[in-house]
Amino acid sequence: MSLAEPAALPVAAAVPPRLHIVTRFTTRFKASLPAYLLLLPSLVFLALFTYGAMGRVLIDALYQRATPKAPLRFVGLDNITAVLADPAFTGAVINNLIYAIGTAVPSIGLALLFALALARTNVVTSALRAALFLPVLIPMVAASALFLFIFLPNVGLLDYYIGRLLPVVPNWLGDPDIALYAIMIITIWKNAGYYMLFFLAGLQSVPEDVMEAAHLDGAGPFTRFRHIILPELKPTFLFVTVIAILNAVTQVDHVFVMTKGGPSNATNLVLFYIYQQAVEHYDIGKASAATLLTLAALMALTALSFRTMANREGGA
Amino acid sequence: MLFSRRLMLGLAIAGTFASAIAVPAMAEGPTEIDLFFPVPVDGKLARDMGTLIKEFNDGHPDIKATAVYTGSYDDTLIKTRASIKAGKPPSAVIMSANFLLDMQIENELTNLDSLIAADGSTKDKFLGQFFPALQGNAVIDRSVYGVPFHNSTPLLYINADQAKEAGLDPNKPPQTWAELTDWAKKLTKREGDKVTRWGIAIPCAYDYCGWMMETLTMTNGGRYYNEEFGGEVYYDTPSMLGALTWWSDLVNKHKVHAPGATPGPAVSTSFISGNAAMMMLSTGSLTYVRENAKFNYKVAFIPRNVRNAVPIGGASLIIPAGVEADKQKAAWTLIKWMTSPEKSAWWSRATGYFAPNMAAYKTPDMVDFLNKNPDAKTAVEQLDVAKPWFATYKTVPVRKTLEDEVMLVLNGKKQPKEALVAAQKAADETLKPYNAETSLKLP
Repeated sequence: MSLAEPAALPVAAAVPPRLHIVTRFTTRFKASLPAYLLLLPSLVFLALFTYGAMGRVLIDALYQRATPKAPLRFVGLDNITAVLADPAFTGAVINNLIYAIGTAVPSIGLALLFALALARTNVVTSALRAALFLPVLIPMVAASALFLFIFLPNVGLLDYYIGRLLPVVPNWLGDPDIALYAIMIITIWKNAGYYMLFFLAGLQSVPEDVMEAAHLDGAGPFTRFRHIILPELKPTFLFVTVIAILNAVTQVDHVFVMTKGGPSNATNLVLFYIYQQAVEHYDIGKASAATLLTLAALMALTALSFRTMANREGGA
Repeated sequence: MLFSRRLMLGLAIAGTFASAIAVPAMAEGPTEIDLFFPVPVDGKLARDMGTLIKEFNDGHPDIKATAVYTGSYDDTLIKTRASIKAGKPPSAVIMSANFLLDMQIENELTNLDSLIAADGSTKDKFLGQFFPALQGNAVIDRSVYGVPFHNSTPLLYINADQAKEAGLDPNKPPQTWAELTDWAKKLTKREGDKVTRWGIAIPCAYDYCGWMMETLTMTNGGRYYNEEFGGEVYYDTPSMLGALTWWSDLVNKHKVHAPGATPGPAVSTSFISGNAAMMMLSTGSLTYVRENAKFNYKVAFIPRNVRNAVPIGGASLIIPAGVEADKQKAAWTLIKWMTSPEKSAWWSRATGYFAPNMAAYKTPDMVDFLNKNPDAKTAVEQLDVAKPWFATYKTVPVRKTLEDEVMLVLNGKKQPKEALVAAQKAADETLKPYNAETSLKLP
């Protein structure tokens, strides 16, 4: 961009309007050619593996077969209407909302708590940081397999200890009222350590002199936290929230391993619904339509958060 | 998007592997074939498969078979469909026996009749090698589409030590639902309101739950689905209502079965740890129980209410549609070799599944094995009353409509009757497009 700007300006001033556009375009293009060339490798891969697939999904979402042996035909927005009318999809959306809020809020809260407690670096805090970060290193699939045994009714680790205190031992993954919360616990356990890293980094940027000044002015720990640390951490909060919500939509490995969306669809999340449509129902049209809807929601969310971040950097 | 991206990545990786394997082969000349195989139960199946394929390659210098591990039964279906779509189908696949009808409806299977005829054999002679119960899932519209490879039936497992302790004779296992209910009551241990040992455990997770419902419905005289036509299921029927009500009573009325849905591994762990005195589980778990139970156990037929009957489970060998002629021939050689009496018997001993080929049980090694492990015999004897596994148009979603409702009943959230009405309605909705094209397509 900085290469293109100075070259374009004098031309724009000198030539008549028609020629002006063409020349401006070619000059600009020439000037920014190296930039495009440098971008080319990533563009090729993005086109192949991201935009190509997205385009394919867009096309697939517009076609459907009326009966199993009938040929594919263009149905326009019918697939999207069908998905929106499917109670399993609305159920999955509601589950996903509960799941997103129920995992984002506690894991961010815990992450902030951990970060504040372990902000200073010494031997003990380093060891504790490593311990809290450990769940992040365990692959979700492996963690789910572990938790499958922890949650086993009667014989699992959880029931072995907690079961003694409760009058009736719950069937953690087999009861539709509890299963989603059991799944959420794993996500919180796994992600809190990860978000802690961002808060630790954010805490480094809290200016030392401001803190010292506040200290001298007699501000207590809570006042310093409320009026200095929290405002300074605002961008971190925003970023971590977006990441947490994206995770809530894109990470469903534990649903695959532990519940397959059951019992009775209680843990069915949107991405798993898409998988079911594509694989179990073998309905590529509906799966693509649901993918498009999810994609649109995620893009809207990302755009919104980027705008908020840009506003912050420009204005506040 | 994620799904497609993952799929494309998977295909790209699979493609790279395939070409890597293909290059040296072209120089030598043997026909290259891939066999997709799933590992549906715990154990060392993948290693056993390696041994089997190596032996085949050593004995057939003109064919080079490669065994490709493809995950669970469901994953194997996904990967097979993806490779058919990509135009590079594997030459043979070990496919869950109840997916065959669905694949045939989608034109994804090779009709094996001509390969049988080319051998100078007939359909009846070829199928005659296998237990009659297995033929239902291999034959569609009077054509052969699959060859039974390893199969199972559900069994009743009993902790013999706990039975003796409760004053029951494990050598006379319960034969009817009434007897089983009585046993379960006597075997359940309570401390106040809290149950410390359950009388019986029956698995209910997607896939297993439908299979157990079919088992209970069949022992209650029912059919579950139309064996001759893929567009009908019989959920809202007296036989299934009786089956589901009994299961629900074990949980909610007699309180001898843990509430909620319990997946297969949780059921077997509970049994092994002595936490459940009896369980209904696949014969495929027999080897696992034999190796891990620290107590005496007994296996028995699934008790009846109306008649003795059980569905089969397991997998068949298939050739996907679109495999080139020379590969088809090579795959057929592999399939016939793998299902021959000797190999069938060897695989059965290694895995715990029963051997579909009847002649396998006449091989000397197998006779020895059964004498040493009489519990393996029960599974084979039960085959006399076995029937096909449910298979309909869109088998998995149609099954899931029932399973979701059964899970609600086991959690005490719905009554059996209203659950079955809801399941029937949802299943009929899923089956509608197929019926529109077949039974309701009128002149």
